[in-house]
Amino acid sequence: MLTAQERERYDRQIMIQDFGEEGQEKLKKARVLIAGAGGLGSPAAIYLTAAGIGSIRIIDHDRVELSNLNRQILHWHEDRGKSKVESAREKLIRLNPDVKIEAIRDTLTEATIDHLVSDCNLIVDAMDNLPTRYLLNKTAIEKNIPFFHGAVYGFEGRAMTIVPGKSACLRCVYRGVIPEEKFPVIGVTPAVIACIQATEAVKYLVGIGELLINRLLVYEGLGMQFTELRVKKDPHCEHCGQATRKE
Amino acid sequence: MSITVNIHQALRRITNNQATVEVAGSTVGECLTELVQRFPDIRSKLFDKKGKLLNYIDIYVNAESSYPEELAKPVKDGDKLSITLMLAGG
Repeated sequence: MLTAQERERYDRQIMIQDFGEEGQEKLKKARVLIAGAGGLGSPAAIYLTAAGIGSIRIIDHDRVELSNLNRQILHWHEDRGKSKVESAREKLIRLNPDVKIEAIRDTLTEATIDHLVSDCNLIVDAMDNLPTRYLLNKTAIEKNIPFFHGAVYGFEGRAMTIVPGKSACLRCVYRGVIPEEKFPVIGVTPAVIACIQATEAVKYLVGIGELLINRLLVYEGLGMQFTELRVKKDPHCEHCGQATRKE
Repeated sequence: MSITVNIHQALRRITNNQATVEVAGSTVGECLTELVQRFPDIRSKLFDKKGKLLNYIDIYVNAESSYPEELAKPVKDGDKLSITLMLAGG
């Protein structure tokens, strides 16, 4: 049941056809994990907090550095040296005090992931490296948790929604590994991609629209083009297939 | 037989800033062979030393992944190949 204040706060989205108070109540009941409080995690967290998600758990092990500030918009100049999740929590609770923000400074590993994803309805992939993305993808499939992927490089970004049992997963699309490296990026690119991830998360929770499943959306900011690549569930995928894929 | 290869942004310095290159071939592999003949520096960006496609490169044919056939996947006149690189940044 929404309060009078919630009805007023979310009035414009409640007005959306097929959204309504029922949709808002679904958001209020949701528990969302945002893996990463950086370039993608910042705008994703801001828009999901503004939308009225009931509970957001944000995980990151890093501290804020000056070189983060061109894109990680939850962190400001005076936050340098502070833990990213604490910096994020401070801003998000000021944006919307009704949302429960759980800030966890930790690293997602094989040893920690079960505990860190527990009780979550969905996972937003806002990581900066492939091994952790693969770990999240695998865990999401094992635990039947929808997984909202996004990645960026320069002016380019990609997004895809993974619904376990219904769609191709990240490992169906990406088979290799790339070395962890400092990558170029302009802040607007993760903003575009994270907003797509947040849109997908809201649609999934409310139960409206058509999800970005079996479609890898490619955003190319320099040419200002969105392209859709069709992806298929790989029966031999080592995460979601029935047999282990040969590399 | 004309196939259009869309060159990923990160590789366009090698193709003299051309976003697309027209090649001929009846498979993905043949098309990429011509691309390498015309722009030799692109070889190391696409293939390992044994000539296998690098595992962080994916070739899409008309917006559909060529995996698992990859280089053996047949193509026909008018097809569009896209060279994509895995992204991991966040």
